Amino acid sequence: MTKDAPMVEEITDFEVLEIALRELAIEKGLFTAEDHRRYTEFAEGMGPTPASRFVAKAWTDPAFKKRALEDPIAASLEVGIDWLNPTGFGTPSDFTALHVLEDRPTLHHVVTCTLCSCYPRPILGNSPEWYRTPNYRRRIVRTPRQVLAEFGLFLSPEVEIRVEDSNSKHRFLVLPVRPAGTEGWSEEQLAAIVTRDCMIGVALPKPGVTTNVARTVHPAAEPLEGHSAGK
Amino acid sequence: MADTTVRVKPTPDVTTVRVKSLEQLVKRGQVWSRMAKKYGVTNPVPPWKSSLDGICDALNEYATVLPLLTRRHEEDRLSEHQYAELPFPESQLVSLAHSLIARGVIDETDLVNRMAAIRTRLESCT
Repeated sequence: MTKDAPMVEEITDFEVLEIALRELAIEKGLFTAEDHRRYTEFAEGMGPTPASRFVAKAWTDPAFKKRALEDPIAASLEVGIDWLNPTGFGTPSDFTALHVLEDRPTLHHVVTCTLCSCYPRPILGNSPEWYRTPNYRRRIVRTPRQVLAEFGLFLSPEVEIRVEDSNSKHRFLVLPVRPAGTEGWSEEQLAAIVTRDCMIGVALPKPGVTTNVARTVHPAAEPLEGHSAGK
Repeated sequence: MADTTVRVKPTPDVTTVRVKSLEQLVKRGQVWSRMAKKYGVTNPVPPWKSSLDGICDALNEYATVLPLLTRRHEEDRLSEHQYAELPFPESQLVSLAHSLIARGVIDETDLVNRMAAIRTRLESCT
């Protein structure tokens, strides 16, 4: 007999709040129950796997890499992602132009969204918490080398860093340089080391590393003028 | 001659409004990180997170009462100030509730009553 997985055996205030908000919003006609069901299913089905496959395929197939750089929306279809209709019923906040940013040994890309938290969700899943924070969004554009070092990514001075700012129409995916030591690897083996963080640009793929680094989220020590409550 | 000037009512800064029922909820501190630890659950996010994402996407689709950028900017400000003690994604949920209540889209009393009814409903099955 198998033991049941542990579960939270209390009904929490936050669980109740989420249900109450949803029910009242539906009753007020802000959206329908069907809209909500479909978007929730979309949220549950998203993840970084298609993007990892996209990068691994670009590393192993020069013709795919060419297509990936020239027309990433079309190339995404080859890993099962239809950007023009990712949910089967439309996602206005994700309808977009996808751009693939190819790293070189002396050029590194990193992605942010200074306005909010735009992210290539259909292919990369939900953004991590730190990506949403004003702290990351404000600092990565000002001091990218320092912020990358805080992620454990120390780039030598001769490596140029380009920060790409996402918006409601344009989303970005970093195509890192294939690391040494992966010669002869299969697409599947390669995809395993292409983590979410590598495709945002805060990490580099490395043989043996298949998970993202847990990162503590800090509030901004010096919030921008006019951005604090009450002003 | 008729005055045809279009006067746009300035959007109130809802992040300065206090919502007492949400403040009380925050004080009770049933955040996922604590509850998961208490019961030995390893899921990094609470089970209601994908439903919350569904709410946000559905609101974005119509963008009438709370456009995406407005919602995200208010979430940033509220998460850094009024609800700074809340972790994510509780901060996202409470900020969304705050934005809707402070705008008058959802009435605070209605929300409190609905929460009580939902809790009764859920607990009747345990």
